[in-house]
Amino acid sequence: MDHATTSPPALELRRLTKRYDDGFLALEGFDLTVPAGEFFGLLGPNGAGKTTLISAVCNLIRTTDGEIRIFGHDHRVPGARRLIGLAEQDINLDRFLNVEETLLYHGGYYGMERAHAKRRAKEMMEIFDLSSKAQTRAPMLSGGMRRRLLIARALMHEPPLLILDEPTAGVDFELRLDLWQYIRRLHGEGTTVLLTTHYLEEAEELCNEIALIRGGRLLARDSADGLRAHYGVGTLADVYVKAMAESGGRRPWTRSEDLAQGARSSRDGATA
Amino acid sequence: MSVVEQQSPALPEPAEARGLRDRHRGLIALTGREVARVMKLWQQTIAAPVISSFLFILVFGLSLGSRISGIAGVDYDVFIVPGLVTMAMVQAAYSNNSSSVFQARFDRYINDVLASPMKSWEVNLGLSLGGAVRALIIALVLVLLALPIVDVPVHDPLVLALAVVLALTIFSSLGVIVGVYAQSWDHASFVQNIVIVPLSFLGGTFYSVETLPSPWQEISHVNPLFFVIDAIRHGFLGVSDVNVWLSLGVMAVLAAVMIAWSSWLFATGKKLKA
Repeated sequence: MDHATTSPPALELRRLTKRYDDGFLALEGFDLTVPAGEFFGLLGPNGAGKTTLISAVCNLIRTTDGEIRIFGHDHRVPGARRLIGLAEQDINLDRFLNVEETLLYHGGYYGMERAHAKRRAKEMMEIFDLSSKAQTRAPMLSGGMRRRLLIARALMHEPPLLILDEPTAGVDFELRLDLWQYIRRLHGEGTTVLLTTHYLEEAEELCNEIALIRGGRLLARDSADGLRAHYGVGTLADVYVKAMAESGGRRPWTRSEDLAQGARSSRDGATA
Repeated sequence: MSVVEQQSPALPEPAEARGLRDRHRGLIALTGREVARVMKLWQQTIAAPVISSFLFILVFGLSLGSRISGIAGVDYDVFIVPGLVTMAMVQAAYSNNSSSVFQARFDRYINDVLASPMKSWEVNLGLSLGGAVRALIIALVLVLLALPIVDVPVHDPLVLALAVVLALTIFSSLGVIVGVYAQSWDHASFVQNIVIVPLSFLGGTFYSVETLPSPWQEISHVNPLFFVIDAIRHGFLGVSDVNVWLSLGVMAVLAAVMIAWSSWLFATGKKLKA
């Protein structure tokens, strides 16, 4: 056997628990490991705990219990947060800043040297086709441009772990394809990507591995092929339906055939 | 078995290995962002409070000043200037930070800061400094505008500087704290309109508290704004109702309480993070 180097996972959650102040238990003893270099998808219905998980990793909520490690570093260490780039589900751009300032100040928050940040901001604006809007304030941008700026901001400090929380929600088909292409390229260059999405075809198209979660619990994780084989069905939509039904998520008045039909139609762009 | 070696990203080099400026780039950027916000909204953040305070100096000082005898040997139009400057400063420091922090929470762009590698005290300080800078600009412009009209001296620059620093610490931090707790714009403006403005008027902006009859004089001494105005007036004019070191002491205690409170909020994430 050749010499093997064990690289720490990009993300490691151990017994992660989050109970909100109102008593809602979003995650309970959640374990998850995302190997470095992976393109990892998180699928689950609204309220499954996807955004809570991401918020915990990115220091945006107070965890109740458990441990989070980023490339082997405790996530509470400020330097570890430098390793993560986050594009949240909701557009949360600073209303007082224009496109260029949004990127430059973000670079500053992440400790980038000013000249480097300027070069990187120019590069990001070119990649995301925002150069002509460099001096336009975020609220004046179109929805698609704001989404692009959000992702450009997440990538500004060149994080080795990119977290995208439903990045193509409300995005037109053309931009979605552009984003897919760019994210694939980033992954090809070595960036670990954690993607949450409601679009099953997006997860299948992009992710090496997919985890299904519901009610703060991990139901299954495997490649799309592995999941299909495990559940003995032909499509990821059917996997989703079966996994959710088995987890007790099926509405009592909904026939499984209706659910499967609805989920199948999501492959054309509707959400699961 | 062959395994391709993967390189794990290292943490950025230890802070001690870099210069002070490099170590606190996040703090510098956040302060820059807060100041940029003030400058972009200069009509609201600078011009409006300067004009309203300057009108007080014109109306109360020039029109009524000649009809009111001097206080503590100081002409009335000169006497009110330090109080008006103080009132404009503390209101600006408070309202700037409460609205900036609340807006950042409301629109959730504060997440970009909270997710960054900045330390909690850097976030706290960066958010506080915007209001302090705004207040200093207002004070400077107001004094410069007042100088051709009334001759305001600076009697004790050291006391003045110390009092201004403490006043800005108290009210900048209070603004951040209220911005963190506020659930609506009304909460932030409530403290401004129902607490700070009335206490400023009752703290001796337009009169010496010594002229009040008992028990109003004693009651005035539990108003923190009284000590702030009295210390800054001493710095400008050399006159005060109580010993200036008592005022500075009270302000120092208040500043320490505010810093401790806001630091606790940012260190624990209470109210900032679910």
